[in-house]
Amino acid sequence: MTTPNFFEAYDEPSQPVIRIAQYRESLLRSPSRPPYKRPVTLTEITGPLNLARKLKTGMNDLSRVNNGARAMGQLIWVTGRLLDEDGMPVRGSVIELWQANAAGRYAHKADSQNPAPHDPNFLGSGRCLTDQEGRYAFLSIKPGAYPVPNHAARWWRPPHIHFSIFGEGFMSRLITQMYFPGEPLNAADLLLNAVPDEKGRERLVAKWIPMMQLERADAVGFEHDLVVRGHRATPMGF
Amino acid sequence: MVKKRTPTPSHTVGPFFPARFFGEGDYDLTFVDDPAKRAQGQKIYIGGNIYEAERVPRWNCMVEIWQPDAGGCFNHPNDPRHSHADPNFMGWGRRSSDDAGWYDFVTVKPGGYTDPLTGFRRAPHIDVAIMSSGLMRRLVTTLFFPDEPANAEDPVFNAIPEADVRERLILKPAKLEGAPADATAYRLDIVLQGDGETPFFVD
Repeated sequence: MTTPNFFEAYDEPSQPVIRIAQYRESLLRSPSRPPYKRPVTLTEITGPLNLARKLKTGMNDLSRVNNGARAMGQLIWVTGRLLDEDGMPVRGSVIELWQANAAGRYAHKADSQNPAPHDPNFLGSGRCLTDQEGRYAFLSIKPGAYPVPNHAARWWRPPHIHFSIFGEGFMSRLITQMYFPGEPLNAADLLLNAVPDEKGRERLVAKWIPMMQLERADAVGFEHDLVVRGHRATPMGF
Repeated sequence: MVKKRTPTPSHTVGPFFPARFFGEGDYDLTFVDDPAKRAQGQKIYIGGNIYEAERVPRWNCMVEIWQPDAGGCFNHPNDPRHSHADPNFMGWGRRSSDDAGWYDFVTVKPGGYTDPLTGFRRAPHIDVAIMSSGLMRRLVTTLFFPDEPANAEDPVFNAIPEADVRERLILKPAKLEGAPADATAYRLDIVLQGDGETPFFVD
């Protein structure tokens, strides 16, 4: 059996704090009572392995829409492996990602007040399956930074890409964000810095792939491994 | 066993999760990819409002559910009974709460099971995960059914010592507009913060 069958609560310092003083939404939506401890049973260590039958995959190229013109901005190649806590590849697993366009605007109705221009050639979202090595890859555009509207502290989100990851169980489901190396705004971002542990923050920043190591010459490459919960306990006897 | 890797830190889903990622059939667990092949069991419809602090409806929440099939099986190798799982039952569904904060799912009533790891008897239940802007980590909880004697033994239901608080996880029979004619409808509002706050579990 290669599927992880042991799942535990997160190690706290590696995960973000829940309430962030200057992030108002976190104060309005976080429960006021601490969560209850519960035993982990079969429902939490299983999950949908047939998602690709429900969700359309193969949407790896965000650089254009329906073979139309190239989106504005600088091409990037974002790749990495999806691993469990044993470092084993998670194969055939759905990865979703979404991001702002090169000007820092999302193709979403919640971003309709953003004065930055919309790019008709950029939808900014994709979905794929990991391969036998657990690898995913997307061709996209470097997202722009953007100011959080009406924020007293002049908070700018650094360039980032959102990831939605399923893994092999309810407890391996993960929503996260990937940051770019060397961005000055990373040091001031309220969300990235909500992760107390420096090593944890480093795990959210992609690594630049030197040009000669990249399989293509038309994009700047970034490597970003993703780790979801789950490891193998002693054999269960089934 | 030594773990070699630490999980990637969680972040909020933010306000911009793409609308095109919500497929029309994603909130209906009674089929996988062929609507002509339906899951076995009693069809149910569950729906409710999501509220943030001060009972303000929270739109644009991503709600996901996961549950066993009508026979209490999962189509997953960690379930020793997985070969008995209903091949037409999806088990997983996803919905975005609408402008009024309403979420809903069509599914079948889950069966209970005996947990192979702990030996606990699980009552029929549905696991729920809520993701939203403002939530750096998802919120997880579990929904239970009314008039189920098995609730009295369920280790997750009883992980909440206060009877009036765990009561908030019991689905209420209701007449709901969006319910299919052949489904039994239940309502459960989810209060993220404030009076009547929904109990959540350590993830």
